Amino acid sequence: MVLERKLFKNIDYYLLGSVILLVLIGLVMIYSATRNNTVLTGGDPFLMVKKQLAAIAIGLVGMFLIMISDYRLPDLMYQILYGLNLLFLLLVLSPLGMGVKGAKSWLNLGGPFSLQPSEFAKLLVILTLAKLLAEKEEMETFWDLCSPFLHVIPPLILILLQPDLGTVLVFFFFFFIMLYIAGYNSRILVGIILAGILALVLLFAAHYYLGTPLPFKEYQIRRMTIFLNPDKDPTGSGWNVKQAIIAVGSGRFFGKGLFQGTQGRLGFLPENHTDFIFAVLCEEWGFVGGFLLLCLFFILLWRCLVIIQQSKDRYGTLVATGIMAMFTFHILENIGMNIGIMPITGIPLPFVSYGGSSIITNLLAIGFLENIWIRRQKILF
Amino acid sequence: MQGLNRLVIRRRTTLLLLSIFGIIGVLIGRLFFIQGIKAGYYQKIAEEQRLRDIRVEPMRGTIFDRNMNTLAFSFDTESIYAIPYQVKNPKADAEVIAEKLKLPVNDVYNRLIKKTSFVWLKMKPHPEEVQEIMEARIPGVEVAQKAQRFYLRGSLAAHILGITGIDNQGLEGIENYYDRYLRGIPGSEQAEYDSRGNYIPLGERRFIQAQNGYSLVLTIDQVIQYIAEREIEKAVLENGAKRGAVILMDPMTGEILALANYPTFDPNHYADYPSAVRRNWVLVDQYEPGSTFKIVTAAAALEEGVVHRNSVFFDPGFLVVEDRRLRCWRAGGHGSQTFTEAVENSCNPVFASLALRLGTDKFLQYIEAFGFGQQTGVDFPGEAKGIIPHRSRIKNVELATIGFGQGISVTPLQLLNALATVANGGELLQPRLVKEIRSSDGKEVITRFEPHKIRRVLSPETAAELSLILQSAVENGSGNRARIEGYTVAGKTGTAQKPQGGIYGQERIASFIGFAPVEKPRVAGIIILDEPQGPVKYGGVIAAPFFSTIVGETLKYLGVKPQQKGEGMGQSSGESSVVVPNLLRLPRADAIRILKQSRLNYRELGTGEYVIAQSPKAGVTVKPGTTILLYYDEASHYQKEMPTVLVPDLTGLSLPAVEKRLTELGLQLAVSGSGIALRQDPAPGSRLAQGATVTVHFVAAGKTKVE
Repeated sequence: MVLERKLFKNIDYYLLGSVILLVLIGLVMIYSATRNNTVLTGGDPFLMVKKQLAAIAIGLVGMFLIMISDYRLPDLMYQILYGLNLLFLLLVLSPLGMGVKGAKSWLNLGGPFSLQPSEFAKLLVILTLAKLLAEKEEMETFWDLCSPFLHVIPPLILILLQPDLGTVLVFFFFFFIMLYIAGYNSRILVGIILAGILALVLLFAAHYYLGTPLPFKEYQIRRMTIFLNPDKDPTGSGWNVKQAIIAVGSGRFFGKGLFQGTQGRLGFLPENHTDFIFAVLCEEWGFVGGFLLLCLFFILLWRCLVIIQQSKDRYGTLVATGIMAMFTFHILENIGMNIGIMPITGIPLPFVSYGGSSIITNLLAIGFLENIWIRRQKILF
Repeated sequence: MQGLNRLVIRRRTTLLLLSIFGIIGVLIGRLFFIQGIKAGYYQKIAEEQRLRDIRVEPMRGTIFDRNMNTLAFSFDTESIYAIPYQVKNPKADAEVIAEKLKLPVNDVYNRLIKKTSFVWLKMKPHPEEVQEIMEARIPGVEVAQKAQRFYLRGSLAAHILGITGIDNQGLEGIENYYDRYLRGIPGSEQAEYDSRGNYIPLGERRFIQAQNGYSLVLTIDQVIQYIAEREIEKAVLENGAKRGAVILMDPMTGEILALANYPTFDPNHYADYPSAVRRNWVLVDQYEPGSTFKIVTAAAALEEGVVHRNSVFFDPGFLVVEDRRLRCWRAGGHGSQTFTEAVENSCNPVFASLALRLGTDKFLQYIEAFGFGQQTGVDFPGEAKGIIPHRSRIKNVELATIGFGQGISVTPLQLLNALATVANGGELLQPRLVKEIRSSDGKEVITRFEPHKIRRVLSPETAAELSLILQSAVENGSGNRARIEGYTVAGKTGTAQKPQGGIYGQERIASFIGFAPVEKPRVAGIIILDEPQGPVKYGGVIAAPFFSTIVGETLKYLGVKPQQKGEGMGQSSGESSVVVPNLLRLPRADAIRILKQSRLNYRELGTGEYVIAQSPKAGVTVKPGTTILLYYDEASHYQKEMPTVLVPDLTGLSLPAVEKRLTELGLQLAVSGSGIALRQDPAPGSRLAQGATVTVHFVAAGKTKVE
């Protein structure tokens, strides 16, 4: 009882409040986007909302359980989590895995249940990498990067094999941010990133001038670059970007009104309950709605930073850093592709997009953040 | 270590915070660019994507006669079309559709499998076919509203009105000439469609009202047109002519009161007629006028003073010009005669010598001043100019022959317009077919065409003198069959030889041109019979009597008071008598009006819209006040108990009127549709036993005025 009273007293309500608001907005937008889509809902306009609510319930329970336990798990647990992660990612590639649109990223659990292990993989890699980095002392030379690299490479390769390029990018993003906050020599980090970009440029240059094969599929490249000029292929790969911007733009400043959006309802905007839910929101609520949503995300990220700073140990700091980086990249990438400044990569908007694995992962991540906050170091002035 | 670490973390998280500010800032900035600055642009694109225009056709304007009787109007009718990709079973559906619409199965099938989003299946289908198709509920097969043109009086004034195509575009005649006024401006209906092109029934709707076309008021008078058409038909048939035409004009205004051609056609079914029949040749073709052109020669000669009414000529039967002997039509010639007598005799050598007296320059100047060799400017498409030989090619022989109407080509309208110039005191006017452009409902006048004076050609004195000479030509000369009881008539006969392959052959064009009353002309007219085949082909014999009937009835209809005895022409037979007018096939009200103006009483027998018989017959001279019996149906005509009745023409009547008419006849009515009667079965004029049923299809005429 004592624990619980202390627990509730110390919860970061800014963080929790913004997350709850985001989840509620998400539910409303999912309803708006799917209620007329009989192919998806089979006639029950609330079906997708109900499915999302079920996932939210699971996520909330998980979040609560994580909050009341200590975020510092026994050492053995990290090895088990890392192993389970690899196992699930391997299973996805096995005949048990299911694919949609070229990417095989789903694991069928039988019946209506399925799972997207790459979503959970992000959190699991953050937790295990944080553990590794927290215990590492030397972080000055290039060779000190070996062990963290070796840590992330196996799951990264498995995800690349699906292939789920978006999630790979998320990995790169939180990986470098975590190394940065962990205290690695920033010059070396910047050097590595520049070298990576240079390598990519050379790879493409070689492909176009020398005809060497690329480790990407043609459609992936098209999808990654089309946002720069969607009119090059307006009915093909450029369609989604174009339609998303049209939906957002036609919402104007105050929006068309709740449930008054037309572009999604009439089938012009595809994937409007997952990847392009932000466009639906902007169409119906206008700039006002988009601005408020970004404000909520800003509160979320700001609380993450406060938690990073006030964590009582390095491990907590690094876990919070990884989670913050993950959120940041998701927000930047998803909203960015909705408004035509980022490539289309099919990663969801945290807490808002429809998707069980995603929302569960994100709620569990909030559980860890609150856990770190509750057990923070009390700074006495 | 711990403290240093914390400092590093603090510094580096601050940098992260700034980055996050940056990221969120960029996102908000971009969002504002799209939703604030470029919002209008994207909104337009969004609307273009989901809203599609369906053209809403405007209603074509109504055409009225000068008394606002409807001649042509448009109404909505249905057309059946298909959206091929929505058709589930093209094979099976094609069979059903073909059967219901009475179309070939293969044809329907080929249309249904076309890779387009739209094909017409049947335009202007029968209302029952529409009903059946709608009941069949074949997916992808639908019914659209389309406006259809209807010529209420069938072939009446067909050559003036012209024809309208399937998309309501004016193709010929007034319909074509005034198409941009009649057509109207299409509106649109915007409806919402999804990304696959499916129509969203409960989606957004936007309407842009179509603007219906302007209506036209013709200068044509329906009743005069009836008279002209009835008589020209009779004239052509009696004389076995290839074709015939009449134009009547108000010489004081240039307004054309009637223009009738025979053979004629029904513009409602124009495709059933050869295009030659549809040709309004009195405006678009030219011919060699022959003697009627002598009016022009006479006018020029009188105006120039080279001849006077009483100048004396001697005609030996020919005139030698250069090395040519120009013969008079009468062997042996007319001997000694005054100029007036020469006109009465239509003596060729006299007019040849007048032309020579005038000289090429003067004569051509008058010919051109009368408007020959150029369009009259009548508001009708494709008007011909006529041909005047070039100055350099007119030697004395040519000049002499033009003097009596050979070697020059004119249109009948040009000739009539020249005569109208004489009738109105010397001013050439622009002939007109349309009096007013009105709003689509016919209530508001948009443009009124006032009489347009082109130039003065003759002095009033010359015009008056020539009028008297031409009056004499009718009273005492070749045109005496054109006389009208009670009115003075001026005119000239014409019997032109038709050039065939360069030489003059056996075929003739018989014509009469004239006006009446001479003192205050109200009607000028020309009647032409092309290639009459009877034993006599002289215009004065075969054309003039019809001129007399047409103009006589027209004058009575116009309420022109006949002159009392002793005034004007002295040829009237006996004291105070009236010639019974021909009332056959005239609408009831018009027949009665003519009778009243002729100071005759009437008794009506039977029921019907048109006079089918009269007693006494037309042409009989009776005392004013005599009762004329008018028969409206055959039953009363035969004055017997007939088991059958004649089906009346119900077109254009309202439902109550149709009901009344049929009940009076003892017939049953079966109604389809609503509005005014458009079609009936059986057709007017068929015989039905009393108690039988007439099916009448009604359509909504909208705002169209229908009598």
